[in-house]
Amino acid sequence: MSARAAPSALMRFSRHEVRLAWRDWSWMFSGWRNTSLRRALIGMGLFYAVMHLVAYAVLSPYVTTGLVLDQTALAMLSVTVLLSFTMMLSQAMESVTRVFYARDDLDLILSSPAPSSDLFLVRIVIMALTSWVMSALVISPFVNVAVGLGGARWLAGYLVLFAVSLTATGLGVLVTLALFRMVGAQRTRLTAQILAAVVGAAFLIGLQVVAILFFGSMSRFTLFDPAFLASHAPAAGSPWWFPAHAVAGAALPVLLLVAGSVVFFAAGAWCGAVQFRRIVILALGVTEKTPRAKASARAFRAYSPLGALVHKELKLIIRDPWLVSQTLMQVLYLIPPAVMLWVSFGQNTEISVIIAPVIVMAVGQLSGGLAWLTISGEDAPDLIATAPISAFTRLWAKVLSVLTLIAALMLPITLGLALVSLWGAVVTFTGAMCAAASAILVQLWFRAQAKRTTFRRRQVASKASTFAEAAASIACAGATALIAAGSPLALLPLVLLMIVLGVSWSIRPRRGVVA
Amino acid sequence: MPSSSSAALEILNLHKRFDEPAVNDLSLSVREGEFYALLGPNGAGKTTTLRMVAGLLQADAGAVRICGVDAFADPVAAKKVLAWVPDEPMVYDKLTPLEYLEFVAGLWSMDADLARFKADSLLDSFGLGPHANERCGRFSKGMRQKVALAGALIHEPRLIILDEPLTGLDAGSARQVKTVLSGLVAQGVSIVMTTHILEVAERMADRIGIIARGQLVAEGTLEELRDRASADGNTLEDIFLNIVGGAGGETPMGQASAAEEKVA
Repeated sequence: MSARAAPSALMRFSRHEVRLAWRDWSWMFSGWRNTSLRRALIGMGLFYAVMHLVAYAVLSPYVTTGLVLDQTALAMLSVTVLLSFTMMLSQAMESVTRVFYARDDLDLILSSPAPSSDLFLVRIVIMALTSWVMSALVISPFVNVAVGLGGARWLAGYLVLFAVSLTATGLGVLVTLALFRMVGAQRTRLTAQILAAVVGAAFLIGLQVVAILFFGSMSRFTLFDPAFLASHAPAAGSPWWFPAHAVAGAALPVLLLVAGSVVFFAAGAWCGAVQFRRIVILALGVTEKTPRAKASARAFRAYSPLGALVHKELKLIIRDPWLVSQTLMQVLYLIPPAVMLWVSFGQNTEISVIIAPVIVMAVGQLSGGLAWLTISGEDAPDLIATAPISAFTRLWAKVLSVLTLIAALMLPITLGLALVSLWGAVVTFTGAMCAAASAILVQLWFRAQAKRTTFRRRQVASKASTFAEAAASIACAGATALIAAGSPLALLPLVLLMIVLGVSWSIRPRRGVVA
Repeated sequence: MPSSSSAALEILNLHKRFDEPAVNDLSLSVREGEFYALLGPNGAGKTTTLRMVAGLLQADAGAVRICGVDAFADPVAAKKVLAWVPDEPMVYDKLTPLEYLEFVAGLWSMDADLARFKADSLLDSFGLGPHANERCGRFSKGMRQKVALAGALIHEPRLIILDEPLTGLDAGSARQVKTVLSGLVAQGVSIVMTTHILEVAERMADRIGIIARGQLVAEGTLEELRDRASADGNTLEDIFLNIVGGAGGETPMGQASAAEEKVA
């Protein structure tokens, strides 16, 4: 009888990681309920089918008549590749940082005789594959339709996407390693997360700012104007367009891109693997550096329970640089409207129609994050629940904290806008506060106790609340723009808002806990 | 069933069911100035019972009176005289102990000067004085537990409910806590404490209640329990195992806590 050879560490880690990834994914969509998973899969299938129709509507006018790879087409394809790259790089930096800092099972694995570098390799490969699959899911309707209409050469789009995900993941590892070297384990996590958010937003925001400066338009599509491209972009034969040619199926660019990305990814993975153990030990040894204040003889302030709760919420948010950076990244999206306001200052009093919806959207998203932090992210729920205060006071304090922060953010924006258009300022402020109130209501209805440190997973915890929050923000933004323009069509997004809030209320989880 | 106006805590016919009964017709009474230890095997219903008393979990049936106040009818009034300390210390990483105590004092609408005086005194009692201005994020579990305890005591409660308060404390810290608790009992404060450290219950408790399968299976002083267990001269551990040995009491692992989480 021959003994079966034990699987290698690489194989064991692969099985383990795939199992965990699958369970995480199932939980994210179903909360472990089979019926929900089935529904989620059916819903995603339907969405996928509809996306093919959308892709057909977009691509058919170009591809069926034979797509000419002129500057506009090359620019569009290049922008798509670059956009995918920045998104994937942002995601990779987040994920790589998590691999180094998340304690989860590292105590067990590092104290075992298994080679921890194998674990890193497995995790990094899964990261690249996940990144590829997720972006392929989003882009595949367009690639599939292009293949159907223009031939098999467009299948190269999948290869390009694969190359992009490998490059982004490899670069994510190298950037994170460089950060460890430059700023140390203490600061790498926060720096990487801020950098990831900036990288993710910078490309889109940059395009928008260029569009504003050159065309006075918030639309990024104005950059694809043939006259603009002719004077500012490389010529059609330039090697700068090789990613676009690769997407279009040109053999040499595809080969170069894939080969280069494989080599780059291997280099990044190898560098990360050999340093993994050392860096994890450094990261796990990081203790929070907190200012050691002098012995304080300060008297306590006399707070009402409401005042104490609001003060505590504001203090906790302000003292958490990571949470602040995560949340305030939404503010990055306010840069384009600010540029727009600056460019057209004194010339265009109808500017609020253009920038109000952007501000309202950003405030809606920001409020969602802050509302989660204050309403669900409570680190001492038992203390608050056993305090002699009513349930209303408890919740009102949390709502008040969010509204205070949002009002503080909106005040300078509103004042700036008021100098251009008083009506626009009033409408924008009202719209923003409505978006904030909607996000708060959704968070109240879907609140689920969690540690504040799980903030990043809040959108994973409830897909329904994430969707409701986004839909309510969109409805508020639409209504604000239409009201600013004086259009009676504003009623439509307002009705949509009511429907979104009504549906959210009706599907909110039931609670049995004592108030 | 003992019931009197001097009872700090009266639990009457309390019921709670998750997938199966977690607390089943449980009644008990704790007198003013009494140290009451609630013992039982894992999953017996101790924490579920105490969470219902603290207003953290809704009871299916029964009544709870705290210092004469119906805790289900008027929870805010009941909570004014109650303090709850869970086994897992819940403090804010970004606040210092002093700021935490200031926050708790605000929640209980305490006079600010009195609160500051009490805060200094409590932090010194627990050996936290030198760390009063450091953020709790870097504290060990034991230090966090002592901060949570100080928070529970600052508003001068008349009934303190402690769920495994000595978990994670070193010998010196445990002694500090026991000294403070004994002092409070001497001042007339009532304490209900669950613990798996039977030696603590044996030394500190005036009366001991043993709970199994959600029911109070034995109650009394150590001598009364010894008589009941027919285990003369034995330790509380022997008595406890004698009483719950047959009764068991453990629900399937994690069932009650998982169900609690679902409800919360």
